[in-house]
Amino acid sequence: MFRYWLEKSYVQYLVLFILSLITFGYFYFYFDFGYDFDWSIIFTVNDTYGEHFGFSLLSGLKTTFEISLLSSGAALILGIIFGLGRLSSFKPLKWVSTVFVEFFRNTPLLVQLFFWYFAMPTALPESIKTFLFAGDFEFLTAAVGLSVYTGSFMAEIIRAGLQSIDKGLLEAAYSSGLSYFQVLRKIILPVAFRNIIPPMGSEFLNNMKNSSLAMVVGVAELTWQSQQVESLTFRGFESTTAATVLYLLLSLVISFVLNIINTRLKRHEAKKDNLYYKISETVFNPLEKLIQFFKIPYNMFVYREKNIPDYYAIDSDVKIFFKRTGLIMKKSLVLFLKGAFIFVFCVLIYEMIKGIAGFDFGVIRDNVLTLLFWRFPNGSENELFMGLGGLSFSILMAFIAIFISFFVGIAVGVARTSENKIFRIPALLYIEFIRGNPLIIVIFWVYFFIPVVTDSFLDVFWSATIALTIFTCAYIAEIVRSGIENLPGGQFEAAYSTGLSYIQTMRLIILPQALKQMIPAIVGQFIAIFKDTSLAYVIGVLELTFVAQGLNNRLMVHPFEIYTTTAFLYFICCYLMSRYARKLERKLSPGGDTSLVM
Amino acid sequence: MKRLGLLLIFICAVFMSVSTVSAGPAYDKIMKEKVVKAGLMTDSIPGAFYNADGDWVGFDVDIAEEIAKRMGCKLERVPVSNKTRIAFVQQGRIDMSVANMTHKRERDKSIDFSITYFFDGQKMLAKKGEYSELKDFVGKKIATMQGTTSEINVKNLLKKLGDKNADKNVISFQKESECFQALEMGRVAAWSTDSTILLGYAAKKPGEYELVGDFFSNEPYGIGLPEDDSKLRDTINFTIQDMWKDGTYKKIYNKWYGPDTPYHFPMTEEIEMWP
Repeated sequence: MFRYWLEKSYVQYLVLFILSLITFGYFYFYFDFGYDFDWSIIFTVNDTYGEHFGFSLLSGLKTTFEISLLSSGAALILGIIFGLGRLSSFKPLKWVSTVFVEFFRNTPLLVQLFFWYFAMPTALPESIKTFLFAGDFEFLTAAVGLSVYTGSFMAEIIRAGLQSIDKGLLEAAYSSGLSYFQVLRKIILPVAFRNIIPPMGSEFLNNMKNSSLAMVVGVAELTWQSQQVESLTFRGFESTTAATVLYLLLSLVISFVLNIINTRLKRHEAKKDNLYYKISETVFNPLEKLIQFFKIPYNMFVYREKNIPDYYAIDSDVKIFFKRTGLIMKKSLVLFLKGAFIFVFCVLIYEMIKGIAGFDFGVIRDNVLTLLFWRFPNGSENELFMGLGGLSFSILMAFIAIFISFFVGIAVGVARTSENKIFRIPALLYIEFIRGNPLIIVIFWVYFFIPVVTDSFLDVFWSATIALTIFTCAYIAEIVRSGIENLPGGQFEAAYSTGLSYIQTMRLIILPQALKQMIPAIVGQFIAIFKDTSLAYVIGVLELTFVAQGLNNRLMVHPFEIYTTTAFLYFICCYLMSRYARKLERKLSPGGDTSLVM
Repeated sequence: MKRLGLLLIFICAVFMSVSTVSAGPAYDKIMKEKVVKAGLMTDSIPGAFYNADGDWVGFDVDIAEEIAKRMGCKLERVPVSNKTRIAFVQQGRIDMSVANMTHKRERDKSIDFSITYFFDGQKMLAKKGEYSELKDFVGKKIATMQGTTSEINVKNLLKKLGDKNADKNVISFQKESECFQALEMGRVAAWSTDSTILLGYAAKKPGEYELVGDFFSNEPYGIGLPEDDSKLRDTINFTIQDMWKDGTYKKIYNKWYGPDTPYHFPMTEEIEMWP
């Protein structure tokens, strides 16, 4: 009886409507927030400061947009260079690319930004420094930091996309006499791009969200502006809400565009009555016509000039001579470039070794324990966990967040794929809401929201851990959803027809298979969350980045030593995890090559 | 089942660290529990910072300890930053915020303040010998900390002196140490905030930095207190005045800002005394 009614979709909508009405009514009429909302600060000119904070938030949005666009473009270029570099047969290039990608993927963006902004200039000559400082150095470093970070992820996506190409296709191309660049242009890139574009799109989205970290080097982007409004008026709730809405809008617009592009790439599989399909057809078809129209004169010109080579004709001596010298020149150019590369490579390594040898290792030795444990176990009794802090604190935070979000994430992911709208719509809203916002905004939300709603306070450690958990849950749920949806539909039908209930089907048939596919992605998410613990520094959690800053502040004279050690500590943990992930991946996909990246 | 148990333990752990704010005023709670929770900065030298031994010391720490002692309570030290110090008072996470806090009317809308317990003013810190007066900083980059009164003051100053790009030239960081690093590496011409903080950092590298120009704003420090708790406010005010009267204040002041310290800052004003 109950189940009969629940299967009607109007009943489901009604239940959702009533539930949201109750929630709204409870908070609006009954619940005492103990906080006066004053939304006018966003819409009016503030008397004390003579500024319109709504406009300053919008100018922050503009900066966010600019920095995301710029760094996405640069990241794409870096990604192509290093992605191809990792597949190169020229060993030094391969090593450099691998080191670049592994290092920047496995250290937190926050630490990288500190490095680019505070440590990098001290190593530069005075003239370059003056030149850089004349411009907008904050914006520049943030853009460089973001490009390098996102670029290292792009490189991995591109590498995997290229590796996923069938070997036979390449062999066929080479044996029909195409050169490497021709193969690259005509065969590899067009095929690989189809695999590359969807994960690359989500990487662009991540890049936009990561741009919120530019606030730590003083770039006035959206998060910075919302914090500014908060600190000037103490209206944290209102300003964070405004920033959230703006981020959400931006994310929605970006993912809308990405969806259209994805539909276009798979236009032959797409359903014809799909909205995305219709939009992509109306946008891309005229565009394609236009390109073709301009191609006509180009083709006429190019093809007339080219005469078809006659393979049977015998070249004259002069021609052979030119061909040979051309070949020799080409070879020597390649050799020269390789030599130059090795030279630069050696100089860089020499400089790095010189720099590291010049380190005051005593400082690292004296402070490494502080970096690992902070004041543990000598802290006072009212400090959390007897004064624990530093790396162990980061690990603890990550561990709790991972543990809880794994189970909750699976539940939310299953709810997301459910037929019943009572489960599906809230899960969808939760996932999209969280994924549309940068982690730092989620942290601020938990930090401002929980005390207001529950009329109680949490230690900042717990605020940050809860925020991390809520954030990770949404991502895991999304991974679970795609894992379930990728299973063939016959699995469900077969399970149901053997008489299993929905829960049994999920527990015994679907989830075990889906989870196996998802493990690499989930481990990747865990690495990300470990790196993201560094963001808790913003609200004053004594994790590794915070401790490193505190130490640096006290010692003053050894920033390079402290930051390098910090980056190294993060790197070791993340690298070990990603090695493990790769091992798992190989174990779980027998015979297949490592093509799963995301 | 085992996993479920672990999960429950975690949830319990989270809830145990949650302490609900009692409905009554902060004063009654303090007197009942005999514990005063004070918000203190962690990287403000010599206000409140971690010294080489990892101990949390400073002028503000000593003042907070003394107040707690005179109230017959134990002091619980809570680390705060310029971002959290006011939110914590609002939320009831701390009973008083002894954290370089300038008493401003805009701030008084959200929380209450004690009488002024320290008189500071804003200055510029720059590399020695490069600048001689405030006018020299027009068109130059200046570092400040986000969410402080000094940020607003320095922008207004630059605008008054004729800097058209004042909003762009003032770069706001999240922490004091970041401002000093930006000054050290030459990204900014000066760092502007309350002079005692500047002195504290300048003392790290003696002879390299100097304060430039006159004070361009008054920064009277007050202890941040919960809104509408007059009993607590009275107690704190009377305690500060008592400390001044019997010389304890002077002793603490000389310990941190006296002539023998690296942060020498002559006392120019007197605490408001009520007969």
